[in-house]
Amino acid sequence: MQTKRNTRETGNVLLCVLATILIVSIIGATVLRNSTTRLNASSTQVRGWKEALSAAETGGDIAFAEIRKTLPGASPSPSPWTGWTNSGTTHVSPETTFGSSNLRARTVVETCWFDASGVFHLGDPPPNGNRWYRVRSKGTAPLLGLKRTGMDDALMKDGLTHFASIGSTAMQDITARGKGDSLLRKIDFQYDHFIATYGPNGDGVGKAVVNASPAPSISRRIEQIVAAVTPFFDAAIKVSGSFYGLGSAAWIDSYDSRNGPYDPTVKTNPASPYYKDSRHGSVEIGSGTATIKGTIYGDVATNGGNIVNSQYITGTVDNNVPFTLEDYQMPSVTGWNYQSSLTAVTGNQTLTPPAAGTSVAPIYYLVSSWSGALTVNPVTIMTGTPPVSVPQDTYVAIHVTSDISGGNAGITVNPKVHVKIYFDRNISVKNNNLVNQNPSLTNPIAGNLQFYGISPPRDANGNLMWSQTINLNSGTPSTLAMTFYAPSADIVLNGNPDFIGTMVAKSFYSNGNISWHYDRALNDEGALLDFRIASYVEDTR
Amino acid sequence: MRLGIPAKTHAFTLIEMMVAIATASAILGVTLTSSIALQRSFKALDNYFATHMQQIRIVDFLARDVRRGLSVTSSFDQQTVTINIPKYIIQAGDPDATASNIGTPRSPTRAIVNKDYNINYGATTSTVQYKVNGSSIERWEDMGAGPVKTTIASSTDNLIPKTIDIELANTEYTTTAITFKPISVADRNGTIVYSTAYLRNRRRPTPTPTPTP
Repeated sequence: MQTKRNTRETGNVLLCVLATILIVSIIGATVLRNSTTRLNASSTQVRGWKEALSAAETGGDIAFAEIRKTLPGASPSPSPWTGWTNSGTTHVSPETTFGSSNLRARTVVETCWFDASGVFHLGDPPPNGNRWYRVRSKGTAPLLGLKRTGMDDALMKDGLTHFASIGSTAMQDITARGKGDSLLRKIDFQYDHFIATYGPNGDGVGKAVVNASPAPSISRRIEQIVAAVTPFFDAAIKVSGSFYGLGSAAWIDSYDSRNGPYDPTVKTNPASPYYKDSRHGSVEIGSGTATIKGTIYGDVATNGGNIVNSQYITGTVDNNVPFTLEDYQMPSVTGWNYQSSLTAVTGNQTLTPPAAGTSVAPIYYLVSSWSGALTVNPVTIMTGTPPVSVPQDTYVAIHVTSDISGGNAGITVNPKVHVKIYFDRNISVKNNNLVNQNPSLTNPIAGNLQFYGISPPRDANGNLMWSQTINLNSGTPSTLAMTFYAPSADIVLNGNPDFIGTMVAKSFYSNGNISWHYDRALNDEGALLDFRIASYVEDTR
Repeated sequence: MRLGIPAKTHAFTLIEMMVAIATASAILGVTLTSSIALQRSFKALDNYFATHMQQIRIVDFLARDVRRGLSVTSSFDQQTVTINIPKYIIQAGDPDATASNIGTPRSPTRAIVNKDYNINYGATTSTVQYKVNGSSIERWEDMGAGPVKTTIASSTDNLIPKTIDIELANTEYTTTAITFKPISVADRNGTIVYSTAYLRNRRRPTPTPTPTP
């Protein structure tokens, strides 16, 4: 007889194997879970946070490209703001998706301007002014992977919201967020925290709990202020070459016509609220050939000169300021209202345009010779009861392809008229034949009569093919109120006129005892040369 | 009849038992040792990674503030960084704060200083300071209601930040190096995370006056 083998003990082996597999699996799962969390944090969330800023800045760049399409010389196709949602002076971009990570960008561009006090205003600027823009851009980076917070996040378990509400401070927001990566990288795992807490525009209006799109994702928001680059910025006289002037008894100061007429006592009266506006009669010289005479109520800058501080210069002297002036080209006249009724100025002529025009679409004339005196009147309309004739702000642009010269050559700008003269060749006129009486003869504003010297073409060696000169000759009485932007021209100013405005040229010479007043309103006026970003902030909420 | 005892049901001999126990003990010992070593290694690696993430967080914090900063100054020992940033959001305690506008973006104002446009948000700026305090790296921001501290990194390992600001003629930037020297790995010199951030809002400095003769 044979005893049967006891097989009950074989079950222990199976249990041991299963237990071992379980333990190993738990260890493996724990390792994988930890690894996934770390991969989330390091690879996805850190990258997404950086890419969200890249997306926001891309939105800003797209907006900046659209803004630059509005430059006078540009003729873009398609035209500016095509495909955007446009409402008045506000433009909203479509949501752009780009990049291998499917980043998204959306931008709001608002036209704005600053007044004489530096206060911000939305909408179009006053006449003669140039548009600035406020660009608000939102960039979003989708997050792949699990909806997990970072490694050492510790959101407050207060049973309430984890984000500050309008009325509290941002730091309370931070406090509510606890510690860790969430302080920095505010990830929308399920809901858009920004809209829920601050509203879509961040101003507390329109708060709503909406799903993040996509979820999870990270969004970052930036605000940029785009400034207009203008030709007459903060300098009474600016030349790229040599400078000589003025007379020993002359002075250059400044004022702001937006604050009222020029007052000669302000520059020596620190108690005046406009005293600071009187100390911007600056001279900028792009070479070392500089002779400064008279009193400068402002700064002096040269490029290699040897000007030294003295009692005659109230501001700073810096002899290490290199700069160049680019050639100036005739802006595009596309969109301007061309009129063929004036092609030459001879004798005494009066011009009343058929329409008022606008600062960006003026009434445009092409003139092939100018030896006479031209008087420009505003457009008038009949209004009121009984009807009376009321002059309207009238914008005129004249392109002169010849010299402007002769004993009687000149222009009279009547009230409400804003004239820009673009000249290809030379100017030689008497001071008293350049009359600006907008708004009045005793208080003219320089920005209403602007001269632009079109730079001659350059030859194969890069030299100008002809010279350009501006001779303003003695003539009394004379109060010159105007601006010159002629980066290729040599200016000679004779006599002792009162001058209100600014000159930008290649060189300047004058030995007259001139009282020269730079108008700070010109900072925002003149032909639009370009745009630049003047400010950058991030909304970190 | 006498039944024979099957050989396969014989008990182990003493020698067999000793060999078996010794072998099992060795296997158990190796397993335990390996487990402990693996766990320590994982913990060290985890700690190392967590600290590395803190390195990244520090430079990201700094870069964010420097990027929007108006000016930045690092101390001589490069352990403290002070940044002036625009007050974009109206905070309780600000002079222009009202019940309805706290927590909303501020409209900018414009000034012309040193022949440059200065776009300002509010009459003053916020001061942000990063500094080392023991094993923590703190960020202090001067808000409307006073300075507020945020601990942005805290590690038992050695985190050594060094930031210098470089001012050029037309721009300014900071370079930051966060050195991590893990305590758990004695022979490790450490890893360094580098960062460079440019100021987007740098203000043009006042020119050095030419001496009066």
